[in-house]
Amino acid sequence: MATTTNPSQLTDAVRSQGPSQAARLTQRIIRSVLWAVLYIIISLIFLIPFIWMIFGSVREESEIFKYLYPFGWHTFFPIHWTLTHYLDVLGLTPAGKLADLHFGLNIFNSFFVSTAVVVCSLIFNTMGAYFFARLPFPHKNVLFVYVIATLLVPLEVTMVPLYIVVRSLKLEDTYWSMIIPWFASPFVIFSLIQFMRDIPYDLDEAALIDGAGYFTILWKVIVPNATAGLVTNALLEFQFIWNLFFWPLIAVNNPRIQVLQVAISGTLSQTQQYWGRTFAGASLASVPVILIFLIFQRYYVAGVATTGIKG
Amino acid sequence: MHTLRWQHVTGGCMAQIVNTPSYVKDVAASEGLMSQRRRRTIIAFLFILPALVNFTVFRYLPIIASFRTSLYQYSLLGGYGSFIGFQHYARLIHDPVFWKSLSVTTRFVIYKVPIQIVLSLGLAMLVQRETFGAGVVRSAILTPMVTSIIILSILWAMMYHSQLGLIQSILGIFGIPHLSILSNPNRALPAITVMMIWKDLGFSMIILLAGLKGIPGEYYDAALVDGANKWQAFIHITIPLLKPVLMFVIVTQTVFSFQVFVPVYQMTKGGPLDSTKAIVYYIYQQGFSYQDMGYASALAMVTLVLLLVISYFQMRFLRAEA
Amino acid sequence: MKKRRPLFLPVAALLFLAACGGAPAATNSPTTASGTTSQAAATSAETAPPAAMSAPAATMAAVTSAPAATMTEAATMAAAATTAAPAATSASAGGAPGAAVTINFITIDDPDLLLAQQAVAQAFSKSDPKYANVTINFQSVPFEQLFPKIESAVASGANIDMFLADAPDVKHYAYNKAIIPLQDYYTADELKQWTPGSVAEGSFKGVFYAPPSMESCSLMFYNKDMTDAAGLQPPAKVQGWTMQEALAAWKKTTLDKNGTGTPTQWGVRWGQGTYQGDYEAGIIRRSAGKKGSPTNMGIAPDGVTFHGYLDTPEAIKSFEDYRSWHRGATPVTPAEPINNIFFNKQSAFVVYPDNAIGTINRLYPNGDFHYGVTGIPYYADGTQLCHGGSWHFGVSPRTANKDISVAIAKFFGGPEGSRIWYSKVHQLPARYDLLASLPEYNKYPQQLFNEGLKTIEVPRIETPGYTEYQSIFGELMQSIVAEGTVDVPSLVKDAATKMEAALAKYKGWNQ
Repeated sequence: MATTTNPSQLTDAVRSQGPSQAARLTQRIIRSVLWAVLYIIISLIFLIPFIWMIFGSVREESEIFKYLYPFGWHTFFPIHWTLTHYLDVLGLTPAGKLADLHFGLNIFNSFFVSTAVVVCSLIFNTMGAYFFARLPFPHKNVLFVYVIATLLVPLEVTMVPLYIVVRSLKLEDTYWSMIIPWFASPFVIFSLIQFMRDIPYDLDEAALIDGAGYFTILWKVIVPNATAGLVTNALLEFQFIWNLFFWPLIAVNNPRIQVLQVAISGTLSQTQQYWGRTFAGASLASVPVILIFLIFQRYYVAGVATTGIKG
Repeated sequence: MHTLRWQHVTGGCMAQIVNTPSYVKDVAASEGLMSQRRRRTIIAFLFILPALVNFTVFRYLPIIASFRTSLYQYSLLGGYGSFIGFQHYARLIHDPVFWKSLSVTTRFVIYKVPIQIVLSLGLAMLVQRETFGAGVVRSAILTPMVTSIIILSILWAMMYHSQLGLIQSILGIFGIPHLSILSNPNRALPAITVMMIWKDLGFSMIILLAGLKGIPGEYYDAALVDGANKWQAFIHITIPLLKPVLMFVIVTQTVFSFQVFVPVYQMTKGGPLDSTKAIVYYIYQQGFSYQDMGYASALAMVTLVLLLVISYFQMRFLRAEA
Repeated sequence: MKKRRPLFLPVAALLFLAACGGAPAATNSPTTASGTTSQAAATSAETAPPAAMSAPAATMAAVTSAPAATMTEAATMAAAATTAAPAATSASAGGAPGAAVTINFITIDDPDLLLAQQAVAQAFSKSDPKYANVTINFQSVPFEQLFPKIESAVASGANIDMFLADAPDVKHYAYNKAIIPLQDYYTADELKQWTPGSVAEGSFKGVFYAPPSMESCSLMFYNKDMTDAAGLQPPAKVQGWTMQEALAAWKKTTLDKNGTGTPTQWGVRWGQGTYQGDYEAGIIRRSAGKKGSPTNMGIAPDGVTFHGYLDTPEAIKSFEDYRSWHRGATPVTPAEPINNIFFNKQSAFVVYPDNAIGTINRLYPNGDFHYGVTGIPYYADGTQLCHGGSWHFGVSPRTANKDISVAIAKFFGGPEGSRIWYSKVHQLPARYDLLASLPEYNKYPQQLFNEGLKTIEVPRIETPGYTEYQSIFGELMQSIVAEGTVDVPSLVKDAATKMEAALAKYKGWNQ
């Protein structure tokens, strides 16, 4: 509920409606202030490390850790502002070129790989979830366990055998090595089942009587009714792939197709740590994903109609 | 011997999966053709086939390879040595570090998952309204989730730092002197837990938000008409209708939390005094640092079985609650 | 009934287009960027992705083979196109004359090293006409992931030709046959051109495996402003302070200007970075023993036994000292390491190899950081020592171009390669001829490193299980400085047991 805090309206209200109205208004104002304070506190809890990181990316290398303690204005706020770190990591300065940094290309690679996985994921996982949620099939539960069990093995263990598989398929050191192993996801299938099972069956039935096949039902009935789940899972899958580190590190050698997370970790070398570059890279890595989540947020946030009581 | 009945495992949704929807039976019966039904079964199978191929090639082949490895003396550089059967599994029983890592991991999951689920449900309720403030908070909560866990681990290690940390400055406001956090064996694990709750809140919140969105507004309108207050509506409408999604979030978060690795790898390296040696970190260490991938694979297989059992009981328990 | 969301369709279509349309663009653009696209590869890459999207199950096989082939073809063709030069008439180069060869070389992400490698690689291809069409493809990974990356490559049989090996890991790679011996490619005289330490580190069971890129030795740097303020004058010679003298100096320079109970200026940081690894922290325990004593050796001659070497009374005493520097009544170094503490002028002393000079010059180009160098502190009744060794060049047995790879390794470790390397990295050379030709190593402060290399340098402990040892040692040091009650002797004994268990598989390696 939006609350008006316009002072002129407030005085008008007080004048015309008497003390009880004024008291109620004051109450409303206090309440909205409390809400605002709560919102600000929660936001700060989640954002403070990022604020420090982003300011760290636009200050000179030598002052990044200098003012951490005692705590003060300059803990966050740079004394000498600079964009060098960004220009460095994008390979736009001689120093950046010398270090062979090309984060622009790395961002493109990350974006391409993540998008490709999301698209595949939307197709194959939606089909898979539809199968589990609504199609008749003998011993489907066995298949379900087969799918879910893959969620339970840590990648750190199966990474090397997986690399051997990928190599024997001649996929190593290609974009495909970062896309094909992930085109289906047990997590997404499991998740989408939850979103599909509540769609009323009479919808399918009506379509079936109209002579529609499974695919038509999936496309015309299920997909439109499971949008929230689909978009949410697409976003989760996107950030999952975007943040993969160990797998691309092992599977890809060509720096020109390498993804951003691996490129960022390259700024943390043994002898010389370029924190400014690390932070610039990390900022570049977070911002696009946050924007994507913002753009799609109306798909996972409830509509106005239901906010009144649930809040 | 009681055999696992897997329809229980999957909770409420499985009941519907297993019991073929009536309309399919009706249609098949009315056509009265066995071949028609078979054709439908084959078509249905085509829907799951791509995923099955993927899982078989890219998940099960590596898992089977790991299992084979666990029966051999094997290191990544040295390759296969002699076949030793289940000796790695026998060794694991007498390995105190394995038991320690299991206890560390269990504590991590038990601290983390319940707090995370309650907080993310609360926050989801708070930020689902479409006001400007809620939008800002929502974006703030999602920010850690979309940021690389490696970078976050570095940032948090700095925030926890006993001399320079931001958290020390905040504690200072309440008169608490400098605390060693990551170098104190009693505080390191809780510190990583707090950070991971902070990081994963957005993940569970966004799924719960999508789940909340799926609850039709009419239910609440009806409840209002009946004179229910917000709390009653939450207990009698939101929770029951959100249950499958909640169950899903709890099960998957338990699995993911059990596999915690990067923050340990980046912030504490399992120390001090093994106090943060989570099971996957120990596996990594055995395989990649101690040159014993055979033993690491045995540890991984045991982890797999443990997680299967845990997930089974979780889904079963959550379903029984219905 | 729920409202349908037709908006999903355009969104899905958009994403779909992004992937299908994006694929060929993507496979092209990176290669185009390097100016090496081949037309055939581009067109076949274009056709593959849509096929994969439209009929998923059926084209699985096609997807898994076709695009990969195009990518690798593109790479080799590209290499051929760029270097398609005449030259190369000698068939002994390992391929037909004129054929392009790409050597895959795994290395670490370090700006200076990358520069050095690229410069040396260029010089290599110019060094002989038969190498004019050799391309070295450097694949750099972060330091911490270098070992896992090499392990994964070896385990999966990936076609790597060469990699950078940390000196003490050479034995590990040699033991596991992950590198080939190069003894036959060197004469005895040629081997004498390097410091004996680096030849020893590059050898396994007396056989030379990997030529060194450079040497190293850690001494103690100090911030001159801080020592002046404390009235200290560290001796400008290798034979510097004993531990006791150094500790007194560290205490004098640990200052709490704000009176908060937390020093604003620390006495010392022992080692690079924030990790407590063997390279620097391992010196302390070995320094506690007399020359040639078990403590000083650090490991039994069998290369797998630690009891009686890691946990001698002197060594345990040194570990307790190490704890007291961090957790004593008057600590002189932060219990939780601080990044760049010395370079940010927050500590008065630092134990560091000579590449610190390069870092200071980079961070303070105007020369407003006044520093000096003194010897590394040592136990008066023990030995003064610094750990040597740096990176070595290993050749993988899987290489299809053995002759060329060996030639590269020889060139990188040779006189010309080393000189170019030094011009980029500025770290202590491993070659005597180069060291002698550099005037700066006859002047303070670098002269001290030159002298240290000849007088106090020892290789790190010699064992094929160095990786295992280093990992357990790092944990031990971390646990020793943990807050709370710590039983140092039993921790050290425990660590020795763990190390022996992890190294049991190497028993008898050097017999």
